[in-house]
Amino acid sequence: MSEVNQETVQFHNVSKFYGEVLGVNRVSLTVPPGITSLVGPNGSGKTTLMNLMTGLIQPTEGRISILGLSATDPEHFFTKVGYCTQFDSCPKGFTGYQFVYSFLRLFGWDHRKSEAAAWSAIERVGLTEAAKRQVAGYSKGMRQRIRLAQSISHDPQVLVLDEPLNGLDPLVRAETIALFKSQAAEGRHVIISSHVLHEVDLISDQVILMTGGYVVAEGQIKGVRSEISDHPMQILIRCKKPSELAARMFDQDGVVEAKVHSDGGGLLIKTTTPDRFYLMLNQIALNNVGIETVAPVDDDVNSVYEYLINEGDVR
Amino acid sequence: MAVYKRTYKPYTGVMTPEWSRFLILPRYAWKTVFQTRFILILYVLCFFYPVGAAIAIYLNHNLSFLGQFMPLPKTGGLFEVSGSFFEWFTAIQAVMAFLMTSFVGPGLVSGDLINNALPLYFCRPFSRTEYVFGKLAVIALLLAYITWVPGLILFGIQASLEGWTWLTNNLWLAWAVFITNFIWTLLISLVSLAISAWVRWKVVAGGMLLVILFLGAGVAQAINVILRTDAGYWIDMGTNFAQICANFYRIKGGDKISTQEALVSLLAMCGFSIWLLWRKVRAYEVAR
Repeated sequence: MSEVNQETVQFHNVSKFYGEVLGVNRVSLTVPPGITSLVGPNGSGKTTLMNLMTGLIQPTEGRISILGLSATDPEHFFTKVGYCTQFDSCPKGFTGYQFVYSFLRLFGWDHRKSEAAAWSAIERVGLTEAAKRQVAGYSKGMRQRIRLAQSISHDPQVLVLDEPLNGLDPLVRAETIALFKSQAAEGRHVIISSHVLHEVDLISDQVILMTGGYVVAEGQIKGVRSEISDHPMQILIRCKKPSELAARMFDQDGVVEAKVHSDGGGLLIKTTTPDRFYLMLNQIALNNVGIETVAPVDDDVNSVYEYLINEGDVR
Repeated sequence: MAVYKRTYKPYTGVMTPEWSRFLILPRYAWKTVFQTRFILILYVLCFFYPVGAAIAIYLNHNLSFLGQFMPLPKTGGLFEVSGSFFEWFTAIQAVMAFLMTSFVGPGLVSGDLINNALPLYFCRPFSRTEYVFGKLAVIALLLAYITWVPGLILFGIQASLEGWTWLTNNLWLAWAVFITNFIWTLLISLVSLAISAWVRWKVVAGGMLLVILFLGAGVAQAINVILRTDAGYWIDMGTNFAQICANFYRIKGGDKISTQEALVSLLAMCGFSIWLLWRKVRAYEVAR
């Protein structure tokens, strides 16, 4: 972990305390390119982690490297990082264009380049027609999009977006997700915090789960799920003869529960050994039980969140 | 694991010098300030006295023109352009500058705090110091055009009409005009920014600036009377500034507080304002 990688975002044993209040504690992470979602309840340390990534606050302990750079070299560091805050953060009196343009000038870009980059970013978020209007008159979704425009306008390699889908209508939400995916496809790091777990599931290449200032899990969601041994994996088998299949299942090692689905068209299995179960299922499928589909039902972010964070809080 | 196509290309164009980036902040701030008609009218009014003084200096050297309308002394001018002339100028423009500041200053930092805009500034290669300089530039440059800049123009007019000898003998006046007005504009700019950072409601912040000037004088008097001392003057901005002006313009000042003490007092107020600003101007406010 001590080696600095110029391709990744790295946290080395990072802690941040606000006086006696814990922000994040002993976080060690390596974030590769692609879409990474930060998931956790309010106060779990997501925004602190994002502020650390963007150089807005400095860690109390530990070291952060963004593509091999640190915030002590602001001229290079900040050109690599784009940040979209969760707050309605536009200085008063600005039009959409002025907002994006003037913040580009703070990077030291000249007028011509700033103007072109501002219009390009505004176009990407679909606000060209409203760009000359004051941001104060924008709807919530438009404000979200103009903030997004300012964060991508300088073409950053690491894009940190705090709750970027809040306030967007379904159509714009879909367009925005497509924008994230295109950014990720160009080899950028897109780091998103979100409460909308099903969306996280759809768009993320990997997730970081946080609670109480600690990272409780990180990686691709299926990998994270397979590490949770406390909870048997739930698998839904759609088939024509669920009762017959259930009877066969009880004979198998590792199957702890088999329940006919409420609609009668399938069987819900809980198993502690999913890999062995899939192998065994191939044999059973030959016995004419009419298996149509087999799919895990709890290897999504929602379930992992439930197991690691909600149940952890109850304990 | 996904395989990504690397198409990222960073900006490679010309960069503006780092030191000049704080000047980006005044760009839109001035535009916003002058969108308010009242402030525009007030700013125009601020030029009345300097323009009147310039005309007076011109007429003072062209009495034959005035003589067509009124009887005039045969020798000398109507008035002498000396330390007291520029002290008057400074006193009047200081009041105008204070009024301008009380309307312009309160919204400068509070607007960004209310809109949570500070993280946007600081996630760029732009420091807190540059931010404060930028905001200070908004108001200090605005005030410069109604204080020391017209003051030096008046000095230039007088010097051009009076001649080289007057200029060399009175060069100290130019310095006095610059330094006294600069001290005042710096002080009220910093105080107004500090208030703006802590008081988010513009009207209250503007009122507070007036309170600091007038209540400060009142409290100073109360301290002096109750404690039978002159220590109260340390918190009286107006008296301290008047003392500094008297010293620089070489006229008789009060004996309530020495010039050195007055300077220290005003510098302490500047320092306190910077400290207050430093506490508030951060990417994130830490609530403990």
